[in-house]
Amino acid sequence: MASTVIGAGITIEGEVTADDDVVVQGTIRGKLTSRDAVTVESGAVVEADVASGPLSVAGAVTGNITSSDRVDLQAGAKVVGNVKATRITIADGAQFKGNVDMDV
Amino acid sequence: MAQARTKNTVSGDASLIGAGTRVRGRVTGDGDVVIGGHVEGDVVVRGDVTIEDGARCTSNVEGHAVTVAGELAGDVSASGPVVVGATARLRGNVRGAQFSMEDGASFAGRVECEFELPDGLGEDHAAPARRR
Repeated sequence: MASTVIGAGITIEGEVTADDDVVVQGTIRGKLTSRDAVTVESGAVVEADVASGPLSVAGAVTGNITSSDRVDLQAGAKVVGNVKATRITIADGAQFKGNVDMDV
Repeated sequence: MAQARTKNTVSGDASLIGAGTRVRGRVTGDGDVVIGGHVEGDVVVRGDVTIEDGARCTSNVEGHAVTVAGELAGDVSASGPVVVGATARLRGNVRGAQFSMEDGASFAGRVECEFELPDGLGEDHAAPARRR
């Protein structure tokens, strides 16, 4: 069970900072920071810079992504922004526009 | 009698702001919201709002049923019942369909509740009290 769940009908306009994992099913506009895993589920909209541990995206993210671990863009994901992480996967069917920085 | 809920599980459309999570900004939308962390900013939802023991909110809260068991500085406006639990520390005005507060709660503010007068307390009795 995730410690923070932003439900499908919920919109947060502002800054979300978490120590534990975050699951986004709704909308976040602003900034999303977590020390642990972040999951952007299908149907979710994140218009924010995201800084997190492992990040899994199946929804829409507009903003720069920085992960201390890995980023997985799954089929159906729509990401516009730069991605910085040590390990990145982009699944067939994911839409992505931006730069990838794997710190090499 | 309504009791303060301190649930840690969510289901369906419910949202949970966990204990280690801080939100600065507005929280709006449909569905229930359970707050266990810190929220600075208004919470306006169509579902129920629960502020758990240990949570800290600086927010005006608008929802259906509103349960406060943590710390809240801000006004509460509920279309349903408002329950202030034993562990609550509430500073603000409360407007709701029903209001209940448990022993041990700390509360500073006004309570505004509209309610039907019981039978026997008809217009004759109620009229003078409503006169401005």
